[in-house]
Amino acid sequence: MGPTTETTTEPMAGPATSAPAPAKQPPTSGSTANQRKAQRGSATGLLANLALVLYFAFSLLPVLFIVALSLKTNAEQTTTYLWFTPTLENYQTVLGLGDGGSSYVRFFLASLATSTGAVLVSLLIGIPAAYAAARYRFKGSEDLMFTLLSFRFAPELVVIIPLGVIYQQIGLYDTIFGMVWVLQLVTMPLVVWILRSFFQDLPAELEEAALLDGYTRSQAFLKIVLPLVRPGIAAVCLLAFIFAWNNFIFPFTLTSGDAQTVTVSSLAFLGGNQVRFNLVAAGAVMAVLPPLVLALCIQRYLVRGLSFGAVKG
Amino acid sequence: MATIDVRSVRKKFGKLVALDDVSFSVNDGEFFCLLGPSGAGKTTTLKSIAGLVQPDSGEVWLAGQDAGDIEPNHRNLAMCFESYALYPQHNVFDNMASPLRSPVLRLPDDQVRERVGRTAEMLGVAHLLDRGVDQLSNGQRQRVALGRVLVRPANAYLLDEPLSHLDAKLRTSMRAELKRIAHGDLMTTTVYVTHDYVEALSLADRIGVIKEGRILQVGTPQQVWDTPETAFVAQAFGKPRISFVSGGLVSDNGTIRFISSDGAITVPVPHVEAAAGEPVRIGIRPRDLTLYTGAGPQPAGHERLDGVVYVLEHLGRQTEVTVRIGESLVSVVAPRNDVGGLTVDDKVSLLLDPARVHVFGDSDSDDGRRLSR
Ligand SMILES: Nc1ncnc2c1ncn2[C@@H]1O[C@H](COP(=O)(O)OP(=O)(O)O)[C@@H](O)[C@H]1O
Ligand SMILES: [Mg+2]
Repeated sequence: MGPTTETTTEPMAGPATSAPAPAKQPPTSGSTANQRKAQRGSATGLLANLALVLYFAFSLLPVLFIVALSLKTNAEQTTTYLWFTPTLENYQTVLGLGDGGSSYVRFFLASLATSTGAVLVSLLIGIPAAYAAARYRFKGSEDLMFTLLSFRFAPELVVIIPLGVIYQQIGLYDTIFGMVWVLQLVTMPLVVWILRSFFQDLPAELEEAALLDGYTRSQAFLKIVLPLVRPGIAAVCLLAFIFAWNNFIFPFTLTSGDAQTVTVSSLAFLGGNQVRFNLVAAGAVMAVLPPLVLALCIQRYLVRGLSFGAVKG
Repeated sequence: MATIDVRSVRKKFGKLVALDDVSFSVNDGEFFCLLGPSGAGKTTTLKSIAGLVQPDSGEVWLAGQDAGDIEPNHRNLAMCFESYALYPQHNVFDNMASPLRSPVLRLPDDQVRERVGRTAEMLGVAHLLDRGVDQLSNGQRQRVALGRVLVRPANAYLLDEPLSHLDAKLRTSMRAELKRIAHGDLMTTTVYVTHDYVEALSLADRIGVIKEGRILQVGTPQQVWDTPETAFVAQAFGKPRISFVSGGLVSDNGTIRFISSDGAITVPVPHVEAAAGEPVRIGIRPRDLTLYTGAGPQPAGHERLDGVVYVLEHLGRQTEVTVRIGESLVSVVAPRNDVGGLTVDDKVSLLLDPARVHVFGDSDSDDGRRLSR
């Protein structure tokens, strides 16, 4: 006997197996139970919402407090009540619009430059690094990743003295470039570690398919892989920017004027002959704007991106 | 179009040996099926050909040239992945157009549209061209993945279980379609991976049977069916499966006979390359046996085996009867009418042409090497 399709013996198609739909329950007995259930459901829902609102108010209170403080006069700056006549005087003082004169705008721009620069450099180097770390395993690759992470949890205080000396000697002290460089300690581990998990979540067969379609490895990366990790890049952009923006110890020790950032310059309002909490508050409110604007711009990707590790195509 | 030569390829993943000295060659324009159970190393073999897996040793030659230094994107091979590997950010059209727009081909837009349209039509996905990949069923995804291969000219097609997620009816019609394409005017060399022996038998010019990273046999469908090299190959083809009976060989007036361990079955096995006394097992395909109901004369040259009905299983117009002979179970497929009123424990007889008996070694170390002829 030869190999013919006769060798298959599929069972004959049986009669349709789907049973008739079960008869509907008489509506009366079921619906009351359902209503009770729904009531109970909406009651717990209401409680949950209430709890959320309370928590929302609780977490927004400090923000409200700072905004209020930034609108108070010198006389009222140590009060805690929220009923007062608001004034924009503090903002004018901080921005140097009044007579006092201030370098806030310059500090602000320095912050913007160092943070943006740090994030861009980290992305430029960190994206390929994260991709390589996700795809190519070699002896010691895990150790390398761990070393990178250790920059993050080693206290910055450990390195500031040698860094300060080195920066003074090679002329990086108080320069934007120097700040961008040193902030890599903050942003790079974040970028590499988070993006690696995004790359790992993508099946390697996507790139393999692109290779066989005739694209080069770099084209496969740019055309296929990179667009798929956009949410991750958005999330990591924001996180890295916030970390760089908020960093205090590096600008505090490595800058004095030209490259000084808002975080450090706010200190000036606390020194001197009068402590000016209201000016600090006004500076802080304005300093929140860049991360906030960035977050709003990339909001579209953020929800998917911040739950990182959970992306699937 | 090209030949493919796989030469002694070995590949380990950690301690696991995925490919153990795999060698076979595929002729120009040939449709070659790689048949094996899951985990046998079929995908790894295919990816080695494509250059996506680096063999630990051994070589892959394409079109008479060592492909070791050729990057996957320059091998001009098209592959259909078991996991589909469709680009999630692209719709069906762009997925299928991807190889046509790549730097290797870079076809003009109207040709891309024309080719994609034609291929989609053929695969029955023309109405899905605007859909996102995430809006497709698995069967549709699989057809799109196949489309991304068939849409383009290539040295060879590498297809990794391309029909596995289609429902039975669609699978049969797609099989016919593939056969038409494969044997049509293009005659593109194809390596087709499957675990379905019917697909292999119906599509292949030649079949390679792979198990645990080793190629057990390469041959035409006729060869692997008629003269399986090992017991494993024998049981890989045919449903119901071939029945095995263990026993030994004895010499009886110059002819060699097989006697089952319990002595209940004895058949002459004239063409066997083994000495008397050797432990062997015989394999009998269910369709090489006939149910003998006692009516009519017993045909000459056939051996008669007597036993009792153990299980009856109806397969539509035919019935699989498992018969217990001594301690062995032997299956036979008989027309439903012949089975008539048989029930379990009824006495039945089977007729067997000794020329159809396959004799294999009985050790598992060599997968039961063929001893017949
Ligand atoms: N990238 C890999 N890493 C580790 N093990 C693998 C990898 N790819 C395949 N294997 C293993 O190699 C063996 C053969 O796999 P594969 O070629 O996919 O088999 P098949 O396609 O025949 O089912 C399996 O045991 C599988 O688990
Ligand atoms: Mg596989």
